[in-house]
Amino acid sequence: MPKAWMGKFLFVDLGSGSSWTQEVPDWMRSKLMGGKAFGAKLLTDLTPAGCDPFAPENPLMIMTGPLTGTSAPSMRGCVVTKSPLTGTFLDSYFGGYFSPEVKYAGYDGIIILGQAQEPVYLWIDDDRVEVRPAAHLWGQDALEANAAVKSELNDETVKILSIGPAGENRVLYSLISCEYNRQAGRGGAGAVMGSKHLKAIAVRGTNTVTIHDPEAFRAAVIQANADLEKSEDVQAMRDGGTAPAVDFANETGLLPSRNFQDGSFEKASNLSDIGQSKHLWLNSAACLGCPIRCSKMGAVRTGKYAGFITDIVEYESAALMGSNLGISDVRAVAHLVKLCDRFGMDSMSTGGVIGFAMEAGERGLLESPDGISLEFGNVQAAEYLIRSIAFVDNDLGKLLAQGVKRAAAALGGDASAFAQHVKGLESPAWGPRGAAGTGLAFMTADRGGCHQRGLPAPLEVTGGEWEGKPVQALAVEGKADMLIQMQNYLAGTDALVKCDFGGFGVQPETYAALLSAATGERHTADEFDRLGERIWNLTRNFNLREGLNPADDTLPKRFMQDPLPSGPNKGHRFSAQDMAFMLKDYYSLRGWDQAGRPTEETLKKVGVQDLPKFEKSS
Amino acid sequence: MTQTLQSAKGLRLIAHFDLCTGCEICQLVCSERLFGGFNPRLAALRIEHRRENLVHEPILCEQCHNPFCQNVCPVQAISLDEDTGARVIDPDTCIGCGLCASYCPRQVIVQDRESGKSVKCDLCNGDPLCVRACPTGALELIVQGGDHA
Repeated sequence: MPKAWMGKFLFVDLGSGSSWTQEVPDWMRSKLMGGKAFGAKLLTDLTPAGCDPFAPENPLMIMTGPLTGTSAPSMRGCVVTKSPLTGTFLDSYFGGYFSPEVKYAGYDGIIILGQAQEPVYLWIDDDRVEVRPAAHLWGQDALEANAAVKSELNDETVKILSIGPAGENRVLYSLISCEYNRQAGRGGAGAVMGSKHLKAIAVRGTNTVTIHDPEAFRAAVIQANADLEKSEDVQAMRDGGTAPAVDFANETGLLPSRNFQDGSFEKASNLSDIGQSKHLWLNSAACLGCPIRCSKMGAVRTGKYAGFITDIVEYESAALMGSNLGISDVRAVAHLVKLCDRFGMDSMSTGGVIGFAMEAGERGLLESPDGISLEFGNVQAAEYLIRSIAFVDNDLGKLLAQGVKRAAAALGGDASAFAQHVKGLESPAWGPRGAAGTGLAFMTADRGGCHQRGLPAPLEVTGGEWEGKPVQALAVEGKADMLIQMQNYLAGTDALVKCDFGGFGVQPETYAALLSAATGERHTADEFDRLGERIWNLTRNFNLREGLNPADDTLPKRFMQDPLPSGPNKGHRFSAQDMAFMLKDYYSLRGWDQAGRPTEETLKKVGVQDLPKFEKSS
Repeated sequence: MTQTLQSAKGLRLIAHFDLCTGCEICQLVCSERLFGGFNPRLAALRIEHRRENLVHEPILCEQCHNPFCQNVCPVQAISLDEDTGARVIDPDTCIGCGLCASYCPRQVIVQDRESGKSVKCDLCNGDPLCVRACPTGALELIVQGGDHA
């Protein structure tokens, strides 16, 4: 076996309580690398077609990459499962310390199947695997459960994934808490964990991740760090994480304001690094092995919500729980996001859901509960909704725990006109009216409304260059080609599994040099694009098999029907013609037919068809 | 001059906890040097992460003036390296009993899983990898006591 990988998967069947290991086949390593690609292939092969995401057969998988746990900067792990929110492929990435620990315990990935009868947690101590009772932890929030498991195992250094009440209650956008301040946030992996009655996973590993050519690897790490230091984007992340993006998005008209009714917010800087530096931040923190340190740790020290520790309120949460709700007090936003983290629900989707509910309230489609006025700017209403959703203990909570797509369908009327989602996943905090390629990115992202599968917005709105030519924000020509290149490269490097911020600096050649030195196999800078294309066809195939309707490759109606009322993109909306043009171009360049299905020829060309099926041994 | 006084004139690793981000790169490079592979648990220094990662405190081998590790070693495998001021373990003498690790007040002595022998910080012969690898300057090597020339 080549170095760097650990060579085996750990399988756990919670139904029987049994566990076993299986070798990672050579073809998987050579054709798929790790992370996203392993997850996409395993999900396809292990899941029966049409599987209910809450059925025991839906695997919950934690995947690492070949460089995870080494000194290569800024590697992560990912959770892969079938999403209960979208009914399609879900991959959600997390930094922190957990994924390296999986490798130190001896595994390239953990695959959890079945469903326990009673609440349990999993204790993986190298090759010793125990399914332990967790009835006493059920109902605790994600951080309480983390502390309780550490205390029970009498070791503060074990690494833990946990869910909160939202996951237990199968709120469809529940997250998995990856201590601390890191989350597998999007798409409802926490609800899948809850459906398995699995409260937490604790890991302790004492093996080493070894390298084929340590000297060449050290040289490649020096190069990777030099790449990071050279990048202005990385320097910006080091200074202020993603918080400065609030002001950037506001100035460029991309910031969601009041459920995306507008693209700018009058008090944006209260929520950006300016407001956060003043009211929250104390220190920088990093994930294992990362010199970027994008986390800005701090605390709410004063005011109504005083007395809790908070990480940076990163851009997506600051926008979706702040400007999107008409809330400008950053301490209140930090409070709301912390509630989401503790209860274990995605603060992005939750912000989208609350924005939807506030607009429905203002439009008279949704009745405000006693003493709570559903209107923008009302922090008390937002907090009420977060608690109602997490505990699903009233009708409003039950309605909104399903996400905006289902809630809009249940409400009827014109509610779907302001339900901001793509394929059921609530929109990220980039209103793309004014950035055509960004609209296409959301239309085609493999997990639904997502900004991490290629985000042309910063290039589009700043007049940046792509392949030597200036990018016109509103142009539709060339956008599919640009986006496909971005999607492929990101997917290929999500097999690594790299951090997106590390990817701002580290060059493809350097990733290849790291991999070559680590594994002893020859890797090249261009293979990430090819691997990404393979992955993009794997996930599309899976989604189509699970019933994805290609007509859902579209945008929230608001972006098509409502022109932006202010800002630099005032008056703009997506036209049906623009969308059809870009989508046709996109399908054609992807080698998909007019209905958005990969052709046999394409599947053969990108190497999907020749992949063997992964068979589990028990 | 007693041995403990001699040891006061030597190199020391010190930590500026306020600059530490908890990235554990120091532990990664240390573990690789000591064991030929990466795992922060197998480093001769560690970081305590506190208050949901608001605070990170590096815990280092202090090359103690009153070295418990040396005092408890039943076979005198630990001695002072007079060139650096480090307390070093002679692997040929070490019998792998683990007493030094279990009584180290800083809990920074680790054991080789294969040989069972103890491994501790030897200051990398005067040029510690951890100091070189730290991206924030949270670790520093100083000359303690006496003439720096």
